[in-house]
This record gives sequence, structure tokens and C-alpha cells, in this order.
Amino acid sequence: MAESEEKQPTKTTPPPRRRRNLKIDHDVEVPEPGYAWMPRTLEWGVRVKPGAKGMTMQGLNVGIYGEIPDRWDEQTRMPRGAYPMAGIPPIGFALREKREVWADNAADLYEEAIQRRWIPASDIPWNTLEPLPDDVEAAMCQLCTELSQAANVEFETIGYWLQHISYGYHEVKLFLASNMFDAGRHHEAFRKRALANGGGLGIESKGEINRMILESKGGWSETSLLLHLLRGLFIQTIYRYGERFAHNPAEKVLFARALQDKARHTAYGLQHLRYAVTHKQDKALVFQQLLNIGERVFARELREPVVLEPLAVIFGGGIEGARAGMREVHHMMGDFVRSYLASTDWIGIHRGRAFPKDLSRYLEA
Amino acid sequence: MPVFPSVEWFDAVSRSFNSDEANRNAGGGIADADVGIIYEDRVFLLNFAGYECEKASEIQRSDLEDADFYLEMHPDDWIEMLINIRQNGTADMNYTLNTLDLDSEDGLAKSATGDQYRLDKFFRFNQTIQFFFDASSDVETEFDREITPA
Repeated sequence: MAESEEKQPTKTTPPPRRRRNLKIDHDVEVPEPGYAWMPRTLEWGVRVKPGAKGMTMQGLNVGIYGEIPDRWDEQTRMPRGAYPMAGIPPIGFALREKREVWADNAADLYEEAIQRRWIPASDIPWNTLEPLPDDVEAAMCQLCTELSQAANVEFETIGYWLQHISYGYHEVKLFLASNMFDAGRHHEAFRKRALANGGGLGIESKGEINRMILESKGGWSETSLLLHLLRGLFIQTIYRYGERFAHNPAEKVLFARALQDKARHTAYGLQHLRYAVTHKQDKALVFQQLLNIGERVFARELREPVVLEPLAVIFGGGIEGARAGMREVHHMMGDFVRSYLASTDWIGIHRGRAFPKDLSRYLEA
Repeated sequence: MPVFPSVEWFDAVSRSFNSDEANRNAGGGIADADVGIIYEDRVFLLNFAGYECEKASEIQRSDLEDADFYLEMHPDDWIEMLINIRQNGTADMNYTLNTLDLDSEDGLAKSATGDQYRLDKFFRFNQTIQFFFDASSDVETEFDREITPA
């Protein structure tokens, strides 16, 4: 076939151009519009302009739309600043006090989460994975199983609380929605790592801390204390070390991206918990009591071999080096405990002597 | 050719970093952080705002309280990291900021105020700071000394 013939495009008949006809059908009876909704606004003429970061949620907080009440009595889905309507059946939000949910950084953290998002399917260079020794692959798979499940607990926990937060604090609802999405991404990403390099899923720990977080129903602040502070900082520290001891660029990028997300969740947790402590007199005492229990459960669960042992194998480059690897695990735990205690100090609760010896011993590492 | 470290050098890296839209994706994006840099007795401040590193300036050590956190390494370690980035286009597995932080006896990222919340920005914006130093691979750099890589 001649070259010119090969390049001839195949002629096809294009579909007929059709647009929906919006002409009024005079045979249909349409009621005369009343436009009663039109003047119903509490503040009109608002013109928010995008700033250096674009049109942000925080930027919308102008005039009455930026008035964030200490208590939100509206029991419907009415957005903050909207015109209230009578006769709407109540939904029954449990969290209506600002001090129960608020963090000044929530709107900015939401924007941060949206703008700094990443995609495990395509942003991780999965093609850089290479076969690892069986013991190291098994350890990595075990670690990823735990991390994936911890992320699962995170989004399920937040999902429960999200519906109880009233609409007066939409910044918090938005941020927590992004926190859920991040956790979903972590569940996905670590599951993918476990199933991408010749291994498979390992076992999930007995999950005392998981259960404690999932079943924490006393209040959102109390749940955030366990989820974002105690367990969150532990996971954040594992991500840091996961990045350090990555075997290939895929793991390097995976842990590095997850670390940023986790630090963002911590940032909300710290701000909210400090807000809660400074706005309710006995909150610090409540948190102290809760951590007295939570830290001990956490320390007891650490005796289960499914987290620290795999880390020792990873850090030591295999079972033979696991003893040296365990020393690195102690370093990691030392880093965790230091950042945890600095964080409890930051929110205004000083653990002091109440901090269990099973954890404080790592400070010597 | 700008000398590391200098405001001129940080400005050159900022231009490269700010103009590369790839730094805004895949874990990059808006970052609000004031980052101190210590190189022996010289101290610099990088102001990250939105998508960009807006400003680099040389400051006094006592002004480090303005920084959310600062990065401090032995001068040879700074140079070694930058040579590694130059050779690979980005930091390789052994020279990322998080890895250097954990490998350093005293840590790489520190707080002048002891404020844990502000120090945590090192982790929150870790990839942005990494992308910034990775952008130095595009900048012809002169160092004030020669080192033998470890």
C-alpha cells in the first residue's frame, strides 16, 4: 500500500448535533414563582477575593460568616451564617460546644490537606521495588499490615464522630473529613506495599489500643487524645524511621508522604487539645486520668511482638541483625517518647511521675 | 557562581524551586514555614509562604526565635548533601532531610523556642523543604571549602 494511502484518515459520519430544547412548553402548567427565598439572607454583598493561596476557607470567614460562636444551638443542618428556618426537625448533634471540637488551624489544615494530597497508585515509584530477603520482606509486610489496620481504625473512628459535630464548626468537619481521606489513603498505600513485592499480609495485633480508640465514646476530645496524640505520634515516629530504613525509592516516597499527612493530623490534635484544656477547667485532669490508662494499655500492647520485632528485623537488615536492630528500635521509641512528652507539655498536661516506667525507660535510649 | 551559603545562593535556589510547578504536586503544595539554616557562625532565614520560598535573608542567631525550626549540620555535612543532590538531581536514599535528621547525633531539625507545634512543621512540610534543596541541583554552586565525602 502506498504511504499516502496509509495516512488517509478513515471517514466516519459524525453524530447529529443535538442540544436539549429549553423552550417553555406552554402545555405544562407552572405555578407562578413567589421568590420568597430571595431576600432571606443575613448578610448580602460579600465579595471575598482570592489571596496568595487562592480562595481559602479561612478567607471566607468575613462578617457574620466569620463569627464562630462558643455554643451552636441550632439543631439542624443549617450552615453557619445562613438564614434560619422555623419548623425543621432537629437532628440531635451531640457536640455543640466550640471547646469540644475547635482548633484555630482547622481551616488552614483542610486547605493544606487538599493542596498537598498525593496518589499512591501513581506517585509512588512502585517499579523500584526489588526482591528482598524473605525475612526482611516478611517483616516489612507485617509492619505494613499493622500500619494499614491502624489507618483503618483512624477513619472509622473519625467517621463515627463526624456526624455528631454540629454545623457551626464546619472548618473542623472539613478538616476531619480530609483526615479520614488521608487515613483511607494510608490504609490503601500500606496494603499495596504488603502485596507488591512477593510477600503478603501478616497478622493484626490483638488491637487493645485499636479497640480503646474505636470504643472511646466519652467525647471527641478524649478520642482525639488517644487517636492523634498517643497513637498518632507513635505512628508518625514509625513513618520517620520507615523513611530512614527504606530499601528502595518506593518505600522512601511512601513513608515520606505518609509522614506529612500524619504530622498534619498531629497539628490539629495539638491545637484542639490545647484549646480544650484552656477552655474547660478540669479538662487537663480528665486527660491526665485518661492517659494514665491509655499509656499503660499502649505499653502493654508493645510487648506483643507484631510491631517492634518486625521493626528490629527491618532496622537490622534481617534476623541476624535483629539484635542490633532492636537497639535502633529503642532509639525510635526514645524519639517517640520525647516528642510525646513535649506534645503533652505543649497542650498543658505534664505527665511527670504518672508516666509509666515501661515507656519512660526509653528516654535513656 | 553563587557561594553556598549566601543569600545570593538561596535566592538562586528559590528561583529554581518557585518556577517548577512539579513541586506543587505529589505531596508538595502550600507551605507556611519560616526555616532557619545554620552553617557554622552564619545564620539564614527562609520564608516559605503559599507555593513559594518568598524570601531568604541572613539573620543573627538571636533572631532564630522567628523561625518555626532551624536546620543545623556540620559544614562538611551540608556540602556533602548538596554534592549528593547535584550528582543525582535529588537527594538519594541516604541524604534526605529526614534521614539526615535521624542519622545525626543531635538531630538536624531543632527549635530555638522549644515549641513542639512549630518544630513539627519540619515533618508537615518535609517534602517542600526537600524539594527546595533538591532544586539546588540546577544551581551552579561554589563552596567555601573542599571536603572529602565520607
